[in-house]
Amino acid sequence: MDRRQFLTAAGAGATALFAGCSSGGVGTTAEGGEQTLVVGTYSAFVDAPSTSPGGWVKQQFEEEFDGRLVWQTPSNDENYYIERANAGVDIDADMFIGLNTDDLVNIDENLDGQLFAEAGDIEGQDSIKSGLDIDPDGRAIPYGTGYISLVYDGTSMEAPETFDGLLEDEYQGDLLAQSPSGSDTGEAFLYHTINEYGEDGYLDYWSDLQDNDVSVLGSWSDSYSAWQNGEAPMVVSYSTDQVFADSDGANLEEHQIRFLNDQGYANPEGMAIFQDASSPDLAREFMEFLLQPEIQGELAERNVMFPASESAELPEGYDELAFEPPEAVTFSYDELRGSSGEWIENWEREFVSN
Amino acid sequence: MSRDGLTIADTDDAERQRRIRDRIKRRALALFGAATAVILVVMFYYPVWTVLSEAIFVDGAATVSVFVEILQDPFYFGEVARLFSGESPITVFGDLLSSDRQLGIVGFTAYQALLSTLLSVVLGVPAAYLLARFDFPGRRTLRSLTILPFVLPSIMVAVGFYATFGQTGTLNAMLGAVGLGPVDLLPSLEVVLVAHAFYNAPLVARLTTAAWESVDASAIETARSLGAGPFQAFRDIVAPQLVPAVVMSAALTFVFTFGTFPIVLALGGFELATIEVFVFRLIQDFSYAEAAALALIELAISLAILYLYLRYEARQSVENRGARPLARRRLRPPSLSLRELLPRAGLAVYTVIALLVFVLPIGSMIYESLSGPTGLTLEHYQFLLDRQVTGAAFQVKPWPAIRNSLVIGVGSLLVALPMGIVVAVLTTRRYRGRKLVDAVAMAPLAVSGIVVGLGLLRGLVFGVEIGGTRLALGGLAAIVAAHAVAGYPFVVRTVAPGLSSLDARIVESARSLGASRIRALWDIELPLVWPGVVAGAAFAFAISIGEFNATVVLASSTNQYTMPIAIERFMGRRLGPATAMGVVLLVVTSISFVLIDRLGGESRGL
Repeated sequence: MDRRQFLTAAGAGATALFAGCSSGGVGTTAEGGEQTLVVGTYSAFVDAPSTSPGGWVKQQFEEEFDGRLVWQTPSNDENYYIERANAGVDIDADMFIGLNTDDLVNIDENLDGQLFAEAGDIEGQDSIKSGLDIDPDGRAIPYGTGYISLVYDGTSMEAPETFDGLLEDEYQGDLLAQSPSGSDTGEAFLYHTINEYGEDGYLDYWSDLQDNDVSVLGSWSDSYSAWQNGEAPMVVSYSTDQVFADSDGANLEEHQIRFLNDQGYANPEGMAIFQDASSPDLAREFMEFLLQPEIQGELAERNVMFPASESAELPEGYDELAFEPPEAVTFSYDELRGSSGEWIENWEREFVSN
Repeated sequence: MSRDGLTIADTDDAERQRRIRDRIKRRALALFGAATAVILVVMFYYPVWTVLSEAIFVDGAATVSVFVEILQDPFYFGEVARLFSGESPITVFGDLLSSDRQLGIVGFTAYQALLSTLLSVVLGVPAAYLLARFDFPGRRTLRSLTILPFVLPSIMVAVGFYATFGQTGTLNAMLGAVGLGPVDLLPSLEVVLVAHAFYNAPLVARLTTAAWESVDASAIETARSLGAGPFQAFRDIVAPQLVPAVVMSAALTFVFTFGTFPIVLALGGFELATIEVFVFRLIQDFSYAEAAALALIELAISLAILYLYLRYEARQSVENRGARPLARRRLRPPSLSLRELLPRAGLAVYTVIALLVFVLPIGSMIYESLSGPTGLTLEHYQFLLDRQVTGAAFQVKPWPAIRNSLVIGVGSLLVALPMGIVVAVLTTRRYRGRKLVDAVAMAPLAVSGIVVGLGLLRGLVFGVEIGGTRLALGGLAAIVAAHAVAGYPFVVRTVAPGLSSLDARIVESARSLGASRIRALWDIELPLVWPGVVAGAAFAFAISIGEFNATVVLASSTNQYTMPIAIERFMGRRLGPATAMGVVLLVVTSISFVLIDRLGGESRGL
């Protein structure tokens, strides 16, 4: 019995259980005559235990436009689509939201051909803050950004103000960070040190940091939960930490933010339309929708990040708990292209001790 | 004449029907075997091949250059890499013995797996002694629950371990109460090893308990009546039956901890990165050839260990299982003699350690699910209820997660059992190369989980194009099959040793009396190895309940998620929601394990 016969035989018995030809990873059924916009994203965008904007965005969009929005949250996020493209299988989503600069670099370095189409003229694009542009080729449009900072327990310590300060004896064993391959925050923190000490100096800095007993765990949640358990007083995380702490009724003194060297590493999030999208026009409308000032404000609040647009209408007092750094730093697409892979690999080879 | 003719025609007819029935029965085993092979090829070998072949075929041409590069890279192979680069073995081995030797990623991974295995055996065997040799209230339930750690997602275990062994954890609180400490244990290799033992000592305990319970009491009585002391009787009668079970569980533990990934990063940090961490990273970066080569090296080492074990297993001729197991002793000492007190004192010490290693992390996890910023609270369970009632269609809800986990768990158990039994029967027959077949059949235990996940995505979810149509596979049935493939090796391992030790003449006489092969298996062999079948079922179920990668990859609609996926989804800044879901998983699987054992029948053994 070959594979095909088995599939046919099994399929006949359990059609309902087996996905049909070229099905996606996650359900995407269209109903009725109205247009459907299938949007791929990372799962926390639609389903986080605290707050996630997905449900609200869907509702607002469907009220305003003649179309249905279907979320798709494949395992492994955008890599799922890259795998599909690599295997020559149709992509059944129209767009993806939640791209970092790094993701675009990754796609362009590893995929023959194009995954995303140029966005074209998108209303609201002009008001995007300078420095958040993640794509010189105009495919990905940023809709928001996070800033990576230190979060520390102010009841037990005062965090140092500079990167060099982290090397002092009094902070020995006090910092929890994440591996750059396991988390966005770890990657951003590594890039920040490269930005500070340069390609030739960052490995020495990390070697000193390692001597000062930094703990680099796997994922953001590994290190954040270790931090919450009091393992160390400082953790690499997001500058919006107090928003969550406040809504959980935690003591804000225990959730202090520190921008080292008065800088925060910006991690812009972008959206892009797939090359073979079946509803590219609706996708463009969705992009414009997300850039509307009032949507920008509410999206930022619901996703606990910062808007990309200068004209965003943020709720009163948002900046009391969510902090923007005096100076934002981030590597551009061109700076990362051709370099980021080697930076991370060299760091790994330096850091792993056996 | 005519009457006779009719009778002959009748008998002919009946004879023909009987022959057809017989033929089906005769072929039943072969049919089961073929079905198992098809499931393995479709759900495992083909998908895995789509990934691993990238190491061998680069740009369409076969090459070994990718392997050579890794083998010669000290980052992966440490000092041994110099051996592959052509240096003299004597200098290399000399340097390996020096204190500043470099193990490399592969060497370190093997080193920590070896230590984890030793610790798992040390922590598992005393538990087997307690469960097999002593009687106390709740013994059966405790035995059923021993494999509970098996199903816990690593993020839960990490939370439990930080809450137990962390800077402000329970252990330090206890030490502080008696004026000691605090000790800084995390992150460290030591805690990683303890976590590996947390997962695998139960495996050792369960398999060894079974072996201990199969020891024939009359053999010991005979030995004692012939003048053997208790120690000698243990050495000559009991130990030879325990050692194979311990070695088997040690081999499995080595293979599992050799492929460790998230737990080592969470509790040990990136400094202790293992092979699997780099397989993951290379695949994330689309460096397929290198990732595949590394995964193949990982697989080769694991399979070599399994193969060595299987050769050892084949040499063991465990005598027929005893008809009468040893009588259990009471936990309360009958007299205050040293002989009665010493083992019990040892067990008391062990119990304290077991409480610390197994019970406290789980207890801390439960405590975490009940604590909020201002003290004890039920708000995290309220969160689960709210999510169930008000969650959007595209969000993960607790009840479907429980239901799917159970449906998939039972389904994969029902598929894994016949698969495992058939493979056990086929590999206990005598033919050349059967140990090789056996080792290959064990491959689902040994292949990198990351590779399996990507393979299922490529090979099944994306499918293959045949004649212009794309045949793809996904959804619940595929998830069940994938879980069955992951769990069936346990059934093979718990059933095969029993089958091979059965007296071949029993089956032969049944066959000569007209029983088909499948009937002999069903009526005679399986009842004799039933405890192994029940244990295999429990492990297959446990593997399914804890499985994550294949489930997310194969889900074909938004409502196909299981409890571990819900836990991952509920993991956020607060530990409460995820740990509350973790407690739900604990409760549901505890009940399931007790049920499996009870439904399996009150029998000695596993």
